[in-house]
Amino acid sequence: MNVIEVQNLRKEFNSYTSRPGLAGAFRDLFTRNYKIHAAVDNISLTVKQGEMVGYIGENGAGKSTTIKMLTGILTPTSGSIMVNGMNPHKQREEFVRTIGVVFGQRSQLWWDIAVQESFRLLKKVYRVSDEDYNHHMGHVIETLEIGPLLDKPVRKLSLGQRMRCELAAALVHNPPLLFLDEPTIGLDVLVKLKIRKFLQEINEQYKTTILLTTHDLTDIEALCERVVLLDEGKIIYDGRLDQLQEHAVEGKQIEFEFLSEVSRSSLPRVENIQWEQKDATTWLGYINGDEQMVSRLISDVVQKNPIKNVRINEVSTEEIVRKIYEEGMALT
Amino acid sequence: MFYLSLFFQYASQYLKTRLTYRVDMVIEILSDLLSQGVNLIFILIVFRHTAFLGGWNRDEIIFIYGFFLVPYAIFSSFFNIWDFNERYIVKGEMDRILTRPVHSLFQIILERIELESLFGAITGLLVMGYAMANLELTFVWYDILIFILMVIGGALIYAGIFISIATIGFWSDSRTDIMPMMYNISNYGRYPINIYNKVIQFVLTWILPFAFVGVYPASYFLNREEWYGYAFFTPVMGLLFFGIAILLWNAGVKRYRGAGN
Repeated sequence: MNVIEVQNLRKEFNSYTSRPGLAGAFRDLFTRNYKIHAAVDNISLTVKQGEMVGYIGENGAGKSTTIKMLTGILTPTSGSIMVNGMNPHKQREEFVRTIGVVFGQRSQLWWDIAVQESFRLLKKVYRVSDEDYNHHMGHVIETLEIGPLLDKPVRKLSLGQRMRCELAAALVHNPPLLFLDEPTIGLDVLVKLKIRKFLQEINEQYKTTILLTTHDLTDIEALCERVVLLDEGKIIYDGRLDQLQEHAVEGKQIEFEFLSEVSRSSLPRVENIQWEQKDATTWLGYINGDEQMVSRLISDVVQKNPIKNVRINEVSTEEIVRKIYEEGMALT
Repeated sequence: MFYLSLFFQYASQYLKTRLTYRVDMVIEILSDLLSQGVNLIFILIVFRHTAFLGGWNRDEIIFIYGFFLVPYAIFSSFFNIWDFNERYIVKGEMDRILTRPVHSLFQIILERIELESLFGAITGLLVMGYAMANLELTFVWYDILIFILMVIGGALIYAGIFISIATIGFWSDSRTDIMPMMYNISNYGRYPINIYNKVIQFVLTWILPFAFVGVYPASYFLNREEWYGYAFFTPVMGLLFFGIAILLWNAGVKRYRGAGN
C-alpha cells in the first residue's frame, strides 16, 4: 500500500529583485522585477507503508517545501499529492489527524506549561480517548525516558529533553505516518542514539512510516534503507542507500603517510588507482576494483617507499553526498 | 460541541498559567482600569464647557461609553490578533497551527485568549448603571436579550475588521502600521455619530462600522427612536463583517507561503 503518492509536484515562489540605488528604489515602487523560482520542480515519489525514507539535500534544495506540501501546510502550484489516501491541503483538518510532524527548529509544545499539560491539550485537540492515550503514551513516555520531565515547564528543559518531548507530542494520536524535519539538530550523541532507537521501535511495532530530513547523515545511515536526494528542487537519486554507496564511490580509499617527501612518479602506476596528494608526505589512493587490489597496492607502495602510517578509509555517506553535490555526479 | 469543550480546556489551562503570574495579572487589570478612567474623565471635562454634544447630554454619552466597553472587552479577550503577522507569519508559527486538526483561526483565538480583559465588561456595566440612574431609564426583561444580541454583534464587528486586517499578512509579508491606526479609528465609535462630518459618518457606518459597536446599539437603550433602524442592524452587520473575515482568512491560508528555515 502506498502511503505517499506524489506526481509531478511543483511549487513556485514569486520573488522580486530590487534595483540598485535610490532611483532604482523608486522604479521598484511602480514596476517590480518578478522572478518565478521553482522551489520544488516536478517531483514524483511514492512511499510504501512501513518504509523509513531519508530525504536529503542542501539548504534550499526544497526539502522543507516538499514536507510542507505533504503535510498540507502549503498549497502546491501544480501536480497531485495523495497522502494516506487524502489530499493534504484540501482535506486539511481530517488529514492532519493521520500524521505526526516534528520540526526540529520549532516547538510544538506550549512554552509556559508543564509537558504533561501540553500532552493533555494535544490529546483533546486530536480527540484521543483516555484508554488509547494511556495505553499508547505510557509506552512512548517510558521508551523515551521522559517520565521525570512531565511536570516541568518546557522552558526549563534542555534541548535534548525538549526534543524527546516534542517527539512524544507528535505521537499523542499514534499516527501511521511521521514527518521529521531535522529532528536531531544540535543534539548530543547519546540523545541522538536514544531517538534513533525509539524511531526504529515504533517503526517495527506500529509499522509507522517515517519520512526524515536531516543534515546528519549518520541518522540516515542508522535508520533508512532508502534515500531520496534532492538538488535544486529535483530528485537526483531515489533508491537504496547501499546502492548509492556502491554507485557513487566504488572501492576504498587508502591513506599513506610517508617518512619523507614522495613524488607522484615513485608511486605505482596502475589503471584502477587514482592518486591524490593530501600534503607533502601524505598521498591518498582511490581504488576501483576488488578487495585484492588493496593488499597488492599496499605491498607495492611499501616496498619502494618507507612509510610511517597506512590507513584504509571506508568512504562515508557524507563524503558521497558531498561528492555528488560538488561534482554533479550523474545518478540514475 | 467539540470546539466548545476545546475552548474550556484552553481557558482553564490559560487561567492556570496566569494564576502563577499573579502580579502581572493585577497590573494588567489596573492599567485597563486606568485607561477607562482617563476616557471617562475626558467626557466629564468636555461637558464642563457644554451641556449638549450634537443633541446628546452628558449622561447619555457616558452610557454610550459604558455600553461600548462591553463588546470591546469581549473582543479584546478573545481576538488578540493584532500581532498575527509578526507572531504567526514571520516566525512561522502558522506551520504548527496548520498541522493540527482544528480550524486555524479558532486555534489562534484559543492560543491568544486574554480572559482578564473581561474585567472591562464589568466596568462597562457599572458605568452604564451609573448613567441609567442619572437618566432614570427603565428597562423591560427582553431588553436583556437585546443587550446580549447587540453586544455579540458589536464584538463580531470588531473581530471581523481586525481579522480582515490580519489576513493582509498572508498576501504581503512586509510590516504594516494599519493595526494601531485602526485602534485609533475604532475609538470614534463611542461618540455620537452625528457630531462628525458626513464622510466620516458614512465610513463609520458602512466601511469600518465602529459606530455599530457604540452609539447605534446604545441609542436603543436610550430610547432614541430616530436611530432604531441602525440599532437593530447591529447583529446583521456583525454577522456580515465576521463572515467576510472568515472568507478572507480561508482564502489567505491557501496563499500562505510559510517562513523559511
